[in-house]
Amino acid sequence: MATRQDALGAARAVGWSTARHRRGLVLAVGGLVALGVALVLAVAVGTVAVAPGDTIGILARRLLLLDVPRTWSATAETIIWDLRLPRVLEAMVVGLGLAVAGTTFQGLLRNPLADPYVLGTASGAALGAAIAVLIPIRIEILAFGLLQLLAFAGALLAVTAVYRLSRTAGGSPMTSLLLTGYALGSLLAAALAMAMYLSGAQLRQIFAYLLGSFENASWSELGGATLIIAVGSVLILVRAKSLNGLLLGEETAAHLGVDVRRERAILLALASLITAAAVAVSGLIGFVGLVVPHLVRMAVGPNARLVLPLSAIGGALLMVSADTVARLLGDLPVGVITAVIGAPFFLFLLRRAQRGYEL
Amino acid sequence: MSSLPDPALPTRSIRRRVAALLAAATFAVAACSGAATSAPSAAAPSATASLVPAATASAEPSIAPSPSPAFPVALTDDEGTTVQLAEEPDRIVSLTPAETEVLYAIGAGDKVVGKVEDIANFPPEAKDVPVVSAFGANGVNVDVEKIVGLGTDLVIAGGQGGTPQDAIDKLRSLKIPVLVMYAPNVDAVYQDIELTGDAVGESEAADALVTSMKSDFDQVAAATAGAKKPRVFYETGDQPAVYGIADNSVYQQMISLAGGEPVTTGSATSWEMPTEKLVTADPELIILGDAAYGVTADAVKKRPGWAGITAVKNGAITGIDDILVTRPGPRLGDGLLLLASAIHPEVNLPVPSPAASGG
Repeated sequence: MATRQDALGAARAVGWSTARHRRGLVLAVGGLVALGVALVLAVAVGTVAVAPGDTIGILARRLLLLDVPRTWSATAETIIWDLRLPRVLEAMVVGLGLAVAGTTFQGLLRNPLADPYVLGTASGAALGAAIAVLIPIRIEILAFGLLQLLAFAGALLAVTAVYRLSRTAGGSPMTSLLLTGYALGSLLAAALAMAMYLSGAQLRQIFAYLLGSFENASWSELGGATLIIAVGSVLILVRAKSLNGLLLGEETAAHLGVDVRRERAILLALASLITAAAVAVSGLIGFVGLVVPHLVRMAVGPNARLVLPLSAIGGALLMVSADTVARLLGDLPVGVITAVIGAPFFLFLLRRAQRGYEL
Repeated sequence: MSSLPDPALPTRSIRRRVAALLAAATFAVAACSGAATSAPSAAAPSATASLVPAATASAEPSIAPSPSPAFPVALTDDEGTTVQLAEEPDRIVSLTPAETEVLYAIGAGDKVVGKVEDIANFPPEAKDVPVVSAFGANGVNVDVEKIVGLGTDLVIAGGQGGTPQDAIDKLRSLKIPVLVMYAPNVDAVYQDIELTGDAVGESEAADALVTSMKSDFDQVAAATAGAKKPRVFYETGDQPAVYGIADNSVYQQMISLAGGEPVTTGSATSWEMPTEKLVTADPELIILGDAAYGVTADAVKKRPGWAGITAVKNGAITGIDDILVTRPGPRLGDGLLLLASAIHPEVNLPVPSPAASGG
């Protein structure tokens, strides 16, 4: 009796999981195709019209090193290669990174409202950027401006402080981490408000950072961000098993052989690094890191091995699309567009979800 | 929790690991961005070296290049940046309304291919020039792609945040020469006009313009010499608070030159005018620079605490064309005449019509 039950349950579980895997595979292939189309479209459109054939020719010549005859002007090549392509790729990388970091933070903290900014990274980066704007010196270290450097450092310092302070606090580690993040974030936000109040004419610069934008993307900036985000995302992906374990609760995870403290610290550090790199180059763009992981989980369930790569694709797709729309509408804040595209879609899926959706 | 190992030991090692991860990543940004910078700079010359000749050739295909004797020239802009101009620019973008006026006033208007949005729409001849920079959601939006697409070979930008620094850096990285201009006083306006003349091959016209402006200033100085200097409050805004003029601003200088005694906020950075301070200073004349934005003498009279001010008691409140008074361009002499005739109605000065052209 018992064995039959077990066998049935196992069979059902296997069937369930294969179906989800198949669904995940379909979504991954579809998502990658959509991302490819979005990338090409994003590079092909802008305020200056470049013929589609020329756009493809330039990309083929520079990216694939094909010997395509030059039918375009040097101006067109500058626009495609130096202005649009780095921007589009940066949107892709940042979208990918924020979605992966969001998935990680949600799983780690077991909180559906967690996003990449929850542990003080956003306010730390914003304060760093504001300080950079207010300091009347301009330095550049290896093509990274003071603003990017201080935003990156600010994000990492904030999350390190949150982590260390939460270790000495009482209560459950995850709760104290969240609450410490909230408290320190509020403190940093107060400092940011003070910096903005004192900034005078430079207020717009700080405000622009808070809204987030890919306007200033360049190849060097893209290179730095891509390295951190790509390495961080791969390292998180190989830890998907630990993330799955942690999602079940600390005790269960420990019984499953997960070294809870160690894995949690590593995942936290990796997700924070990705977030810091993303916010350093693009400013604070909300929504992608919060909602994309939920969208993916509604489709394929909570398994991090599926959710992580699919979120990466989804985040990249949403960000590239949103930035293209923002650019076409005259450089609107991209965070507004991500929310306008994403929120109704999210609400629609949430209503359609038959069973109660949980992390 | 009971299943977790002794917290003391792993805590330390994890902390060290997190710290090491963060440190490694910070270093990685530095290392990889170094690698990334060399790649685009190696690729860039091929794209940008041919940019200028190609652009000029397409603009005037029939005219053989006959470099004027003044070029090549090396110019130092108001930020101390040395800008090399190989040949006389003939596709110029102006990113400040004042510079648009200067270029037209010295006879280089036909070379202006792009301009900043100008609420005053001056000069009328510039009406159909494409706008490449406008006020957007997050401050001044410069459309770098459009500037590149226009085949621009000289950009004149505004300093002190007039043009976003990121846009200036980006244009320079694409090998487009950018002169940054910022005039904190009347003499600097003359210098900027002469610098513009040198940059576009119209040095003589620029000298002539400066001479004629100086004669306006001399005329006002002669007419108001010996006259009593009334205390003048120049209002620059009334929302959310009343704004006047800061110490050492060009406004302060203009009012002094027009024969008035400027009432300032007493600070070089704050433009907000506390009512108590204003009542103590007791201006004899109130000039509404914000008249164009709907502020009227009646509204001023009704403000609480203002009834005792001499200017309010005597009804000495007048509106003025703020743009003429403060735009550091060719019409500054007209602005001074306007200001002087408002401060000294008893002196007979030629009052410029609202649409007066420069010089």
